[in-house]
Amino acid sequence: MLSFLGKRLLLFIPTLLGVSLIVFLMLQMVPGDPVNTIVPADATEEERMLVTKELGLDKPIAMQFIYWLGQMLQGDMGHSIVKRLPVADLLLPAVWNTVVLAAASAIFSFGLGIFIGVYSAYRPKSWIASVCNALGLAGIGMPNFWVSLILIGIFSVSLGWFPSSGMYSVGRVDLPDLLNHLILPTIAASLTSLGVMTRMVRSTIAGLLQQDFVFALKAKGARSRTILRHVLKNGMPTILTVAGLQFGYLIGGSVLVETVFAWPGIGQLIYQAIGQRDFPIVQSGVLVVAVTFVVINLIVDAMHAVLDPRVRHS
Amino acid sequence: MASNIQHLTEATIGKDRVKEPSRARELWQAFCKRKMALAALIVLMVILIGCLAAPWTAPYDPYEGAVKDRLLPIGTPGHLLGTDEQGRDLLSRILYGGRLSLLSGFAPVLLAVLIGGGLGIAAGYFGRLVNMVIMRSLDIVYSFPAILLAIGISASLGPGISNVIISATVVFIPPIARIAETAVKEVRKEEYIEAAISSGASHSLVIRFHIFKNIFNRLFVYSTTQIGICLMLASGLSFLGLGVAPPTPEWGFMLNNLKQVIFIDPIVTIVPGVFIFITSLAMNLVSDALSDVLDAKG
Repeated sequence: MLSFLGKRLLLFIPTLLGVSLIVFLMLQMVPGDPVNTIVPADATEEERMLVTKELGLDKPIAMQFIYWLGQMLQGDMGHSIVKRLPVADLLLPAVWNTVVLAAASAIFSFGLGIFIGVYSAYRPKSWIASVCNALGLAGIGMPNFWVSLILIGIFSVSLGWFPSSGMYSVGRVDLPDLLNHLILPTIAASLTSLGVMTRMVRSTIAGLLQQDFVFALKAKGARSRTILRHVLKNGMPTILTVAGLQFGYLIGGSVLVETVFAWPGIGQLIYQAIGQRDFPIVQSGVLVVAVTFVVINLIVDAMHAVLDPRVRHS
Repeated sequence: MASNIQHLTEATIGKDRVKEPSRARELWQAFCKRKMALAALIVLMVILIGCLAAPWTAPYDPYEGAVKDRLLPIGTPGHLLGTDEQGRDLLSRILYGGRLSLLSGFAPVLLAVLIGGGLGIAAGYFGRLVNMVIMRSLDIVYSFPAILLAIGISASLGPGISNVIISATVVFIPPIARIAETAVKEVRKEEYIEAAISSGASHSLVIRFHIFKNIFNRLFVYSTTQIGICLMLASGLSFLGLGVAPPTPEWGFMLNNLKQVIFIDPIVTIVPGVFIFITSLAMNLVSDALSDVLDAKG
């Protein structure tokens, strides 16, 4: 067990290094001299040199990377060019808001996905099984930003049931108001996960129902609830692994949903920063989400090993 | 004697060949048995041809609108799919816009097959250090959520449809390389590879004739499953304004424009989204059928 986790942790460090290298290289790809965004247009050559030196841009690129990495590790993500604030101060609340939305989507899509999946594995001919099929297809083929627009059109504009944007109404910071704002973005963000989960749960459970231990239980006269408990216990490692990965996708993939609903999360922050060409925010935002994604994958691996002895011994 | 043999060949072997249906024909017939997939293929072809032939199929100029015709609903006589916020005919914009949207759905997957497929074959065939370097590097790209990586690269390169294609290509290289690598590893163990190598065949010969032909089906089927996903990813990037510049029509960017009038006409965004949805759904159905027919699970 420990050696398994040790191996994973050992892989974790180069992965993080690689991820930060890619994010660093992204900024290098930006066309034009970064100095131009800082100095006024009529600056002399000497002033430009001074700024270049101050930013460390005269150093070799490898040195620049190491310096940047050191700063990041100390929690110094630089300053927003447009908002003139430390990037970290802008990112932290946004990360929290994104996690709120991702958690809501996870609860919604995992709960409903497991229910529909298990039910349609038991009754493959029921209407819920057809719903499962439709969800699988729709969830994978529908762009979530379009679903967001349709939901806003129907439930906010036409029916007026839910607010169309933001996280709280002006002057209110309470739970009912938050839930009211959460419903539409949650549905839009979780559609893909819901499709993946229902399909995967159904095929896992349907496969388990064919196994000998189920027949043995039936022959013993076990109640269907007991059988379900045994089947679920066997299917859990697989289901939890996929669920964990989906949670990662929910955090990273809700950029577009956040943009449509003006949800004050990291996706919207990145989107605004792209428009304003505020690259320190884009860079740190992408880095924070990617690192979160890697950490979640690590936790999923560890969880899988705890639940399923076959994994840690292979 | 020689003429005798020739006579024999023509009479017997030649006749047999006429009777036996070709492999392509067999596959096509197996595909046609799947009604859903056939319907999906027809829908896909109609959309594809309609968009490619947009100058002939589109009823109006996609750039010119009439102010008095703004936001006409679907089914208005003369404007089958209605008009947009500037009074431009939506059907015409869909047909013209489909060219860029479909291009940004297909091109990245094709490029990723060339690059990722090549890397995967190299990794799987040569193994050891080559494998480790290639696959571990690609794993790092894998550890980003796809959409976020594409947004990051696109934002750095600046807006433009070619940059959308580049960033989407980067996203699709690792999964395609992984599929190619796994497939090659399986084929690599076969005895005929060993026989070919020991009989003095060069690596490039073995890869071209034995490896590539054996993994082609799996690689092909898997790439077709990625096209629908790529179409959605690329339209998402365009939706964020990272793709085309106005007034060029493109499905994702049309949604961005129509978003601004959602409070005037709540379901105005339905048309471009339905086209993205139908295209990627049809693509998925076709690739499901292909994987059954070619017996190649991705």
